[in-house]
This record gives sequence, C-alpha cells and structure tokens, in this order.
Amino acid sequence: MSTTTKASWLNTYETKFGNDELFTANNDVKTYWKKLFTGFDKLGENGLSGRQKDIDWLLLENGVTYNVYNDPQGMHRPWNLNVVPLVMHRNEWQNVEAGLKQRAELLNLVLKDAYGERRLIKDGIIPHEIIYGHRGFLRQCAGIEYTTEKLLSIYAADLARGTDGRLWVVNDRTEAPSGMGYALENRSTTSRILPEMYSKMNVTRLSTFFKEFHQMLIHAAPGKKDNPNIVILTPGSHNETYFEHAYMASFLGYPLVQGNDLVVRDGFLWMKSLQGLKKIDVVLRRVDDAFSDPLELREDSHLGVAGLLDVVRRKNVSVINPVGSGVIENPGLIPFMHAISKYFLNEDLILPQIASWWCGQEKEKNYVLNNLSNLVVKRIDRTNRESIYFGKFLSDSELESLKAQILERPYRFVAQEQINFSTAPNLSGNILEPRNVVTRAFSIASGDQYSVMPGGLVRVAPDSRTVRVSNQRGGTSKDFWVVEDQVVKEDKNKNWEQKSAIAISGLDDLPSLTAENLYWAGRYVGRTLVNARFIRTVMRQLAMVQNRDEKPEALKLQVLLKTVTHLTGTYPGFAEKNKDGNPAMDSPYEEMLSVIRDKNRVGSLAHTIGMFSNSYYSIRNLWSSDMWRVFENIQKLWQGFLEDENPSILKILKVLNQLITRLIAFMGLIEESIMVQQGLLLYFIGLQLEQSMLTISKCRSLLAVKYESQVEYDLLEYLLTSHESLNIYRYSYRSHIQLEHVLDLVILDVEYARSLTFMIKRLQKDIARLPHSRKDQQLTSYQKYVFSAFSKLRLSESNKLCMTKSKNDVVREDLDSLLGELSDLLYKTSQSLTSTYFNHTDRQTQMFTQSFPI
Amino acid sequence: MVFNVTHITTYKYNAPVNYCHNIATLRPRKSDGQELLDYKINISPKPAEITERLDFFGNYITRFSIQAEHDTLKVMTKSKIIRHYGTIHDSFFSDACRSITMTQALNALNENDPATMEAKQFVLESIFIRRTDKNIREYAELSFQANRSVFDAAHELMQRIYTDFDFVSGFTSISTPVEEVMKEKKGVCQDFAQIAIACIRSVGLPARYVSGYIETLPPPGKEKLVGADASHAWFSIFIPGFGWVDFDPTNNQIPKDQHIVVGWGRDYYDVPPLKGVVYGSGKSKLKVSVDIARVS
Repeated sequence: MSTTTKASWLNTYETKFGNDELFTANNDVKTYWKKLFTGFDKLGENGLSGRQKDIDWLLLENGVTYNVYNDPQGMHRPWNLNVVPLVMHRNEWQNVEAGLKQRAELLNLVLKDAYGERRLIKDGIIPHEIIYGHRGFLRQCAGIEYTTEKLLSIYAADLARGTDGRLWVVNDRTEAPSGMGYALENRSTTSRILPEMYSKMNVTRLSTFFKEFHQMLIHAAPGKKDNPNIVILTPGSHNETYFEHAYMASFLGYPLVQGNDLVVRDGFLWMKSLQGLKKIDVVLRRVDDAFSDPLELREDSHLGVAGLLDVVRRKNVSVINPVGSGVIENPGLIPFMHAISKYFLNEDLILPQIASWWCGQEKEKNYVLNNLSNLVVKRIDRTNRESIYFGKFLSDSELESLKAQILERPYRFVAQEQINFSTAPNLSGNILEPRNVVTRAFSIASGDQYSVMPGGLVRVAPDSRTVRVSNQRGGTSKDFWVVEDQVVKEDKNKNWEQKSAIAISGLDDLPSLTAENLYWAGRYVGRTLVNARFIRTVMRQLAMVQNRDEKPEALKLQVLLKTVTHLTGTYPGFAEKNKDGNPAMDSPYEEMLSVIRDKNRVGSLAHTIGMFSNSYYSIRNLWSSDMWRVFENIQKLWQGFLEDENPSILKILKVLNQLITRLIAFMGLIEESIMVQQGLLLYFIGLQLEQSMLTISKCRSLLAVKYESQVEYDLLEYLLTSHESLNIYRYSYRSHIQLEHVLDLVILDVEYARSLTFMIKRLQKDIARLPHSRKDQQLTSYQKYVFSAFSKLRLSESNKLCMTKSKNDVVREDLDSLLGELSDLLYKTSQSLTSTYFNHTDRQTQMFTQSFPI
Repeated sequence: MVFNVTHITTYKYNAPVNYCHNIATLRPRKSDGQELLDYKINISPKPAEITERLDFFGNYITRFSIQAEHDTLKVMTKSKIIRHYGTIHDSFFSDACRSITMTQALNALNENDPATMEAKQFVLESIFIRRTDKNIREYAELSFQANRSVFDAAHELMQRIYTDFDFVSGFTSISTPVEEVMKEKKGVCQDFAQIAIACIRSVGLPARYVSGYIETLPPPGKEKLVGADASHAWFSIFIPGFGWVDFDPTNNQIPKDQHIVVGWGRDYYDVPPLKGVVYGSGKSKLKVSVDIARVS
C-alpha cells in the first residue's frame, strides 16, 4: 500500500469561520494543537484515516450504540467518534472548572430554595413564573429533606466558545444528565487508537473523577453505610442512551434495573432478585422526574416505582439526582443568574452565558417579538431539540404562529441570541474540515464542593453548515483532552473500579428482570437453532422437487411440511385446512418463505430471531465484545437476507447454514463469557427447556403416526438429520435406520447430549440450584414437574413405544401419550418458574384511569 | 354549626390485589371559619403502614399501603367539624370587597405582599386546566370587564354557569378536558368548578379549586341542594387587595356554614380524595357514600 504523505495536515486545514479552536486571537496555531498535528503528520494521510477506520471498527465491535427514535436505520445506530480529539490547555480549563463549580453550586442553591423556602421568589430575585410556571416544578417534592449535603449531585453543562474567545454556557442539564458514559467510552477508544499522541501530550486522566463519582454514590446512602446497595435505574433498552446505562453499570459494578425490578414495601425500596427482596440505598436515576413514581407523579408511567418519593421523604433511600431536579433545567433562569449569584454568593458569574430574554417581562417580550427572526426561542421547561425554534429558519407564517404562542403564555418562553460557536478540525473522508462543536462538561458533588471531569463529551455538527449540534440528528462526537505541560501520573491502580462489596454477589441477588431476560434469551436461541435446522432439512427436500409451485405428492414431504407448522406454531400453515382446502400445501414454497422471512408472523424464523435480539439487547451489560461481534454478524447476515427480494433456494440454504454456524459460535461464547452466578444458569434452563419442548413436538409430529416403511424410513432420516444425529446413529448402531433405535438415541439415551432424557436430566440438575429449590423431602412444584418428566422417560421402553394397538391401527398411542404428557409437564414447569421467579409481571394499575401529562 | 361527616369509599376488585399504595386527601384542612374537632380514619384491610403529612398547599395527605392480598378496599373517615363562616361570608358583600374593579385588581396583583405572592401561582396553567381556548376566554369576558367589580363579575359567572350548564353525572370523567365541558355545557360539580377557574385565569386572575362536602338535608320548606352523597367541589377567586372568595356554581350560592372544606389546590389533580396504584390484574368497582349529620 502506498502512503502519500501530505506536506502537513496543518497546511491543508482551511477554516473560513474565523473562530476556530486551532487558532489564537492572533491567528497563530496554539502550541498544543501543533503538537497533535505533528503526530498526525507522522501518520500520513492514509495513516490518519486508517486510525479513523480502527475507531469505527472498535466501536462496532464493542457495540457502542445510540438509539434514535423512529430511525429508518433501525434502533441501535452505531456511535460515531471522530479520530481528532478536541484539545484544551489546563491553564484555560482551570478557569472553566472554577466557573462550572460556581454554577453547579448556584444551581444547587436554586434547587434547594425552589423546594424549600422559595426566598428567591419572596425576595423578588426571580419572578414566580420561572419556578411555578415550569412543568418540572413538582409540588409533590416540596419540603422533602435530603440526606446528601448537595441536592444537585450531578450537573452537566453544554459549553461552546463564543466569538470573544471565551467558553460560554449554552445549556444546563440536571434532571438525569447523560453523556458521562459516552465520554468514558470515547476516552478509552481514542487513547487506544492514538497511543503516541495520548502519551506525549500529557492528557489529564479521567480515573480520579470516576473514583470520586463512585464515592459520591456511596456517601449518598442514608445512614452513611459502608457498603450501600446501589442500582442504576434505566427506562430500558429502547431509551436513546441505553448503551450508556449498561456501560456505566458494568463499569461501576452496580446492577442495572428497571422500574419493574424495584418495589416499595414497609417504607423502604427493594430490588426483586431471584432470592427475594434486597434493600436498596442509592438509586442512580436515568428515568425522567415525572416518570419516576406513578403513585405521586405521572400515573401512566411504567418506568418508575410506585411509592418511591415517599421512601425518599422518609430518608430511606437517596435518588441521584433527586426527583424534581428538572426544574433547574430552565433557560428562564439565565437572565437572573447574575442576580442569583450576587444573592447567594455575592460573586460575579465566572462563565459567560448566552444573552437571553425572558418573555414574562414586558420590555423583554416586546424586544423578542420585534426581533424574532434573529433569535432562538425555547420553552423554559422543554429544552429538547423539538421545542427549539431557530428564528432565521422560520417562514413568515411560522413566525406568526410562534408569536401567537408567545403572546398566549409569555412566561413560558425565553429567546436567546443566535451565536456562532467555534469550529474544530474534524476528519471527514480524507480531509480535515472545520465543524461546530459543543462540549458537555460534568460536575459532581464531592463533600461540600463540586468536582469537575477533566474532559467531557464533545459533540460535532453533522455538516459544515449546521449549527444545531445533537446526537439525535446524526452528528459525531470527539474525545476531549485537557493537556498540561508536566507529565501526568499514570493511574497506579487501574482496577479501582473492580467489584467490591457492592457488586452483584451471586445468583440470589440477580434482578429478576435480568433473570427473566436470560431465561428467554436461552429459550429464543434454542428455538432459533432447532427451527433453523429443521427448516434447512425441509428446504433441502423442496430443492429436489422440480417445480417450485408443484403440490407435493409425496406423503413424506407432506408430513415434513406439517411438522414445520407444528414446530414453529405458524398455524394454520400446512396443518389445518380451511374451506378452500389447504392453500399452503398447494404452494409450499411460498408458505415456507413466509415461515422463514415474515417477521410479523409469530413463530416465523424472522420473528424468533427478532425476539432473540430483543432479549439480548436488554441484558447487554453482561456481554463480552466477542459476543457482540458474533451477534452483529448474525444481524447483518439476516438483514442482508431479508433485503434480497427473491432469494434462490440455494441462497436460502446457504444463509441457513451460516446462521446455524454463527448461532453455535454465539452459544459457545455465552457459556464462557457469562458466569453462572451472573445468571447463566437461567439461560441454560431456558435453553434446555426450549430444546426439550421442540424435540417433543418434532418427534410427535413425525413419529406418532405409522406410515408405510419407505416413508417411515425417510422420515426417520430427516429427523436424525435435523437433529444433527445421523452420524452418531450410524456410529452407535451400524445398521439400517429403525424406529426403535432412533427412539433410544433421540429420546431415551441417558448419556447422549442431544437426547431428550439427557436434556431433562440436566434441567433437573440446573433448577435444583435456583434459590428457592429444595433439596429436602419436599420439592418445589417446578422440581416436581421435571422430576415426573424424567421418571416417565426412564420408565419407558422403546420397543413398546414403537407399537400400535393392533396391526391395523396407525397411531402409536404409547408414544403419542408419553410425548403429550411430557409436553404438558414442561409447559407447567415454565409456568411455575415464571410465577416463582419472574413475578414482577404483577400488573400495575391505577385505581382511576387518568391519563395526562404533568 | 357542628357536623359529623362520615365518608366511605369502597373499591371491589374482580381479581385479588396483591398490594397497593394509596394517597388520600380526606382530613379537612385548616381553613378560615372552620375547625376540625375530631377525625378518625379506618382502613380495611389494615394497612401495613400509614403516614400523614402536609402537602405544598397545606392539605393533609394520608399515605398508606396494603401488602396483604385483598379483593375489597374500604376507607372510612369520620370528621367532626365546627363551621362559623357567617362573618366571613358577610364580609364578601362589604365595600372593601365589592368596590375592587378588574383594572384595580390586575394592578394590585403586582404587589409583593405575602398573600398576593402566594396567590399569583393560581393564575398559571395547571395539570387539568391547561391552555384555555378562545371560547373560555370569551365566556369569561362577558362577565369580567375592566371597570366592573371583580366580585360582581365572579358572582355573575357563578350564576351563568349554574344557568347555562346542566348537572349530568356520568357524562364526564376526571380526565374530560375543560374545553369539552365548555362545548357540551354538561358535567358535575368538579367540572363546573374547573370551568370557572379556567375562565378566571383566562382573564389573568388567580383561582383555585376547593374540595369538600355540602350538607344536603334541606331545612323545612327549602329546596334540596344538589351534590348529596358524594364529595363536593367549588371554586375560590383571589381578589387582590381583599382576599379569597368562595363560590359554588353547582348550587348558585356563596358558601356559608353548610359547605365544609377538605382541601384546595390548582384543580382536581391536586386534591383527589383517594388515589392509588394497585398491583394485580382486573378491574375495580367504586362506591362512595358521604353522610353529613348536624350535631348542633
């Protein structure tokens, strides 16, 4: 490969915007950027874009995603990280840090005041509408006393550099600030991809900050416990930043839970685990304020915990940030921040803020209405992207309608100056382009102070013209390096975050929702594999039929097709006739395509794969990166297959082969990557149960009815093939295929891993390890069902099972009833396991049904 | 006047409930011209825990949870209350109250005395009374005019609601939007109170929702009052420079001693008598009975 080295990256970087991170006010290149560019020059053109490819690959490998609602590309879009970090010198950063600490403290005091005495309103520092008219002001939270020194534990600020060269505060984030996990992931990736520059440039490390973060959560526990139980509360895998919740959970070693995992009893908060209830001391909350307690707040929320606020009120749990902190995510405060700073601290604001006009005041309102097309208008209580109006992009009629909205309730609107943020170099293809950047900086409470992360999450505008910077709109991100002149100390103890007493200590403490997801993961992976193998066998047979649309005359083929319907549960399918006969049987190829590819058809292979993917996404904090790679492979393979509108039968067989191979690799990885006490046991239980049930269904459909000997011979061969047991059979029996031997091998063998008896035996052993299982005289009900199934199998004899009542009978009644009973017992086992361990399915309902937003 | 109020709420579930968390606003609050002499709450099955606190508006909030499986929940309260509202009622008709015009009231709203500061939040939107459409504002402006007495305007608004709206129970639910009630001109006491509040806020004055009871035994020869056998609700308007004045649009009268205050807030959302989250499947049937007995 040829390496064309440009003379210098610096010389090719063109920026027209006049406000670029690279340059000083005198248009000199800042020394530390020069250093970075020297490093880039050594890599050469292909070298740098090569590193970018490495990053893309690494992020994909690690499954770093960002969910975009209603995204045509589907959920779980890969996270974008640009290879060029944003660099800032410690000398400048120190001032920013001081400014952030001051602002965090001020907002903390505003928050305390809003839910306490409200002196700011009474003393005329802020107009009452700014608090009372903000939907995030939750009157239910007024008067709550907290155990933590600071009410605001985590504060995030979006910073951008104005034309005056200073960093300005653009947004405050306090409700459930996101981005810290992405910042950490960006750092871990960039430091690996640019090791030369990372070590030479003395980049301040993030580990001290995260150590403090961990301490902050520990200190937040009521009663100052030594080993508090901390959980991360997530809205679930559909949330846009779910990756981050899972990442932080595995990085910090706390269980990741959803509202359903938690319950309020006796004035305390408990986590439902496999063993029972476990008391929780601290909740790191990623569920929005209004959704966190359906008893007192939004009644239609299923993301929170009923009664949570009252537990907080009794000081029996700490929620970080406290419920109600959304009220200070409030641009209405900006015009009053100077006065607030004087009032509380008698200090001037260190960090400048964007010029803002609150429309609740007459003069300001008039100014805004007269200058609307040059301003950016926001609601005081809706700072998400959808509620921001950029005046200059609005048509006349849109401006009029915005005016009307403002006039209707002026106090709800704030207008801000539209300013040009600085740009920074961004690698785009093979060239460096200037792009607008916004940096999210994080502060956390640390004793009576705040600590600031020496770094942050830099977000980059999607193209060189866009000023809106946001992840949802498909921008990219950067690592943020705060560099200093002295050599930075390496982290001596890199394992500080390793599990201590707070980590999940065993199967007993496994959140029951995680347990259920693992159980279903096992069931769906088993279902996908067994069905894919059987369908492959069927498709091979269909491939031999000359004409695709020909009705299969051969009886054996008809039996095989009916089995597909029974196995997948895609009724009516081949199994049931309607008044027009059996349309599926008339065009079997078409029906098979639907059973394979129609993802909206319950039971189809595509549907099963979808369910399998969902259950895996929701436990992603347990995954290793190898598992991700294989999983992504399966997804890609399947996606590509579905996009092929008219795949040939050979193509289908090829895809099935690949699917099966990858599934097996995946299953192998699960077994070695997740520990039994992390819940692997539940996965195995699900897997064995599913495979057993499907084996029963397959055998029943293929073997319970007696056919003439050639048909029977072929069916036995199909069974063995789809069961991957033909070679074993030949090895074990060295004979013509006979039903009796097949039953011995596939159903009754105690040693053979694929036999039903073996799987049930294993199931029996596994369920005995569950927390509520009994080893004494009295078994639990699920143990009884499995024990009963096992003994029925052990008491059976293959020669009897082969027989029909008389020569003329076609049904093998013993075999049929045995399989029927087994099927029933396993179904009951599943029900019993569910009600014993996954009982979070108790439906939460309101005594009255009321549905309205807070 | 002294009253014994017995308020019984019963929920019957068609499938057993494993546990529930509830909030009740049933203990009558501290209020001008009214004192609570005695109060008892009796819940069956017995709650695992029960606590009481004052909420943001100064109402008593009782929180309890039942952790045993049950198919019926019964909450009974007995309150003994003395009402001596006569002088307050009479003060509404004084010059101090009646002389304040709309223009004066809106100006006085800018004062920073504690009572006005406290009242101002009741101008803003609330959970059940959000954006009010043109119809509501126009309806309000027929009564509220710049040079007219605010008291007279509010009094007329009450009368108009009484005349224009039909008392029809079962037509609306608590989640029926104010706009729809305005359009249909039908509803119950909650709806009428909320309509009035929406109207008053639309012209820029503070109004709040009052939840309570009304004595329904008719004195000999007088008409029976509507609102029997259930909780009652009415509204209160803040006249800047004077104070809060209550009006009952359901019965077209200014509350005197027969109205008993339980709590108040921005709208029904802030003071539901009983609400809760239930864990279990199935539906529930609600039965409420209120009995008011005059002791002396």
